[in-house]
Amino acid sequence: MRRPWSSKRARTSEQPIELRLPSRLGYEKVAMDTAAVIAERMGFDQERIAGLRTAVSEAVTNAIEHGNNGLRNAEVHVVMTIHGDTLTVCVRDQNYHQFDRSYGIQRPDLQRALRGEDVGWGMWLIRQFVDEVEFTGAPNGGNEVRMVLRA
Amino acid sequence: MAFLDDSLEVTSRRHGNVTVIDIKGDVTTFADAKITEAYNAATDAGAQKLVLNFHHSNYINSAGIAILIRIVTSCGRHGQKLAMSGLNEHFQKIFRMVGLSQYADIHETEEQAVAALSSS
Repeated sequence: MRRPWSSKRARTSEQPIELRLPSRLGYEKVAMDTAAVIAERMGFDQERIAGLRTAVSEAVTNAIEHGNNGLRNAEVHVVMTIHGDTLTVCVRDQNYHQFDRSYGIQRPDLQRALRGEDVGWGMWLIRQFVDEVEFTGAPNGGNEVRMVLRA
Repeated sequence: MAFLDDSLEVTSRRHGNVTVIDIKGDVTTFADAKITEAYNAATDAGAQKLVLNFHHSNYINSAGIAILIRIVTSCGRHGQKLAMSGLNEHFQKIFRMVGLSQYADIHETEEQAVAALSSS
């Protein structure tokens, strides 16, 4: 397993890595690529990194489309923290439209989707690919999705 | 910004009685019009067996999954057979989790998908 950041000092750092992204679709790729690079440096395997990419992408997309309600002058704040072998990614919006924090606990119904209903897979996918997920309020009063990946 | 511009290319080819729709680029909400247009054109041309080939796609999100579910629904309505190919392991896993694999066989390669549909 690759451990380029294997010094004890670096791997126990809680210095956050922060991104402030324009609230426009497409910028979720900046967040997912950044998270993937960090996870790879921490030594997570490719399967878990691919899952993290999906989780971060869906969380940022959700913040853009629903949390910030599509407002293009809003921003999405992404904070990534390394603590030991644990990577925490927090995605915060500006709460122009608060989303349902229990969303995604139940698996979306494919049959309903096949009938043309809008079921939404994003929140459920996030829950499948990280070790812990929490939907809370951000310090600025917006929504926060906190995702944890553990070695 | 240019570096984030969505550059999706969707093209169609025929392999005997199978239509292969190549999807090159990100399968997100921006892909809806191009994928749906390619599917509708194939359907209007009488295609009964289709392969969606994702060999050059590395990013599929939930909006992309919703597009593919609509294609599955349309294939059912038109009595078409649908297969998918070129997905990496992660997206094969997601398609199985979502349940899409119940409605479209997933093959590693385009050649395998075409062969399976040709003989069905």
